[in-house]
Amino acid sequence: MRFTRRTVAKMAAGLLGASMLMPVGASAQDMPAPFDNPGDVEIALVRYLSTGDFFQAYLSGVEAQAKALGVNLRVLDSRQDAALQADMVDQAIALGVDGIIIQHGLTESMKEAAQRAVDAGIKVVAFDVNVENEAIPQIEQSDRDLARLALEQAIKDNGEEWKAGYVYVAGIAPLDRRNETWLQFKEKYPGIEEVAQFGTLDNPIANSVANQARSVVTANPDIQVMFAPYDEFAKGVKIAVDEAGLTDSIKIYSADVSTADISAMREPGSAWVATAATNPAVVGEVSVRALAMLLAGEDPGQSVIVPPTLITQDVLNEGDIKNMDELAAKLPQFAHADVAVPDWMPLPPRD
Amino acid sequence: MTEKLGMDSQLAEKTNADRPKPAARAVLPMRHLAIRYGFLTLLFGLIVFFSLATRGFTSPQAAVFILQSVSITGILALGVTATLVVGGFDLSIGSIATSSMMAAAYVMVVLEQNALVAVLACLAIGALVGLINGLIICYMRVPDLLATLGMMFLLIGLQRIPTEGRSIAAGMTMPDGSTAEGTFSPAFLALGRHRFDFFIQNLVPASVVVLIVLAVLIWFFLEYTRFGRMMYAVGSNARAAEFAGAPVKAYKIWAYVISGVFASIGGILLAARLGRGDIASGNNLLLDAVAAALIGFAVLGAAKPNAFGTAIGALFVGVLLQGLTMMNVPYYTQDFVKGAVLVIALVFTFALLGRTR
Repeated sequence: MRFTRRTVAKMAAGLLGASMLMPVGASAQDMPAPFDNPGDVEIALVRYLSTGDFFQAYLSGVEAQAKALGVNLRVLDSRQDAALQADMVDQAIALGVDGIIIQHGLTESMKEAAQRAVDAGIKVVAFDVNVENEAIPQIEQSDRDLARLALEQAIKDNGEEWKAGYVYVAGIAPLDRRNETWLQFKEKYPGIEEVAQFGTLDNPIANSVANQARSVVTANPDIQVMFAPYDEFAKGVKIAVDEAGLTDSIKIYSADVSTADISAMREPGSAWVATAATNPAVVGEVSVRALAMLLAGEDPGQSVIVPPTLITQDVLNEGDIKNMDELAAKLPQFAHADVAVPDWMPLPPRD
Repeated sequence: MTEKLGMDSQLAEKTNADRPKPAARAVLPMRHLAIRYGFLTLLFGLIVFFSLATRGFTSPQAAVFILQSVSITGILALGVTATLVVGGFDLSIGSIATSSMMAAAYVMVVLEQNALVAVLACLAIGALVGLINGLIICYMRVPDLLATLGMMFLLIGLQRIPTEGRSIAAGMTMPDGSTAEGTFSPAFLALGRHRFDFFIQNLVPASVVVLIVLAVLIWFFLEYTRFGRMMYAVGSNARAAEFAGAPVKAYKIWAYVISGVFASIGGILLAARLGRGDIASGNNLLLDAVAAALIGFAVLGAAKPNAFGTAIGALFVGVLLQGLTMMNVPYYTQDFVKGAVLVIALVFTFALLGRTR
């Protein structure tokens, strides 16, 4: 046999493919149809949002779980173009994929496209977008739980009476859901007094929020707690609090986490004391698992909720946690969610 | 647009000098005063109003953070003023700033270099992008708006390529799965966070000092040097300047280089303040900077791009926004107010000034 460049490339590709299938090989026969032959299964991830750490991590979770199952994954990325995203669902239907994950998007544009996919006999799950379809399970990171965890920690740290600054921009679905919890808390604890509300999504968000927060803390130096239920908001508030020299008198509670957030929380004397977060990679894994259950004829439930984890400054310091990987390693509840895990489900390897 | 304006005012000046209209004499002083000092009076009035309406507005600290809140957009605005002066426009400043922010973060966190290298890299990027803008506009004859619009998109994409769309922070996970070892050097962070003593300890942030220094520099440069005056000449009538023997293309290219360098300085300060490289389009920076420069037309009745006006314009927007935030006014009304100020300033510039002269 002559070793032309082409044959070498073929062999390399074959080896690569084989090595990727290897971990699944042993368990494949234990899995229900169609996963008894996972190489023939193709799923599509149709994305609306893709830039940013959260979406990168989400994709890595989807990839990891798809690899663990041994199925083929096709990623279609509409880059915030709602019409294109709907077209991409149709494209996926035309390609004859077995399952589709819709990641974010607008209800109005995705509802009919999702219905067309269901009509074509394709299994569909949706993450963080409500497509108003009973055949389509919703994957959610529970925004209400995120806000609740952070606020419960604030009550634990500061008692039931404090003056609060609140960062909020209306009309963004996850922020609206977090806002519901904030309203409930204010009702439940009348001692919480909201003296200022502000917020903006002007790019770069942290810088714009820092400018606003600086004015707010100057006008209201008696604020004790800043509730900033989005990490970009919290970053901005922290900059302002540092600049105003009020790190000792203000505590910041937020939601979401990233490597940059971890280092900001761990700065000596940081006012950012706690955040509640779901691991986006885990949400990605859960999305694929829920879809796999549907494909295998099982019911993951109408709404699949990935529970959040509370991350405090103390926990980060005690564990000397510097980035997301170390966070996942030190906090098992953050690295893994026991959601949508039937017995046969292979899980991505953990380190 | 600005070219026309510059010509108009120059022409108007000439006709004014040739034959002063006697009928307009009586109203002129009043109107003249209104035009010359109207905006400054309005700014002063705003400050008085906010001092009475909010707690803590009249403190040295408040003055400083208002300056700080406009320092980055102010620096960008001063840069774009240079391109307005030569009758051009630079839409790419916002994305130059965010690209330079990403570059600073990349150099320190991924390449593990020190603050000096990071700053030099950013300035080089700013100068290079400005140079390319200028070359495209002058030698490829692409209209300025289109050339810089293209550059804007190019940079928004380019700044994401090295990290595959991730923001850059110390300890970040790289695309290949390894962890970045570098950190933001303290010297670099000091650019955004260090405070100089000025009567009160730790009062004036470095970014404000940079803004003031750059404002004075560009003001002196544009108003009092031959180079600056020639730039105005190029802006008001490029052909006449060319006939007079001025290397018009060189002046224009320099204007874009200045704009690019100023934008990259803004990006450096942004990176130093945030302490990370955030993927962002920088469009809000662009819009705010352009607004400040356009409001500047109305200051002192200049009716042309000028550095002093730009600085006052930026300050005006800063006072207004910070004052409104202190009064707990929601964010969407702030955009409205910003827009209203801009419209009023432009009407002021074009309508009032056009009539009196």
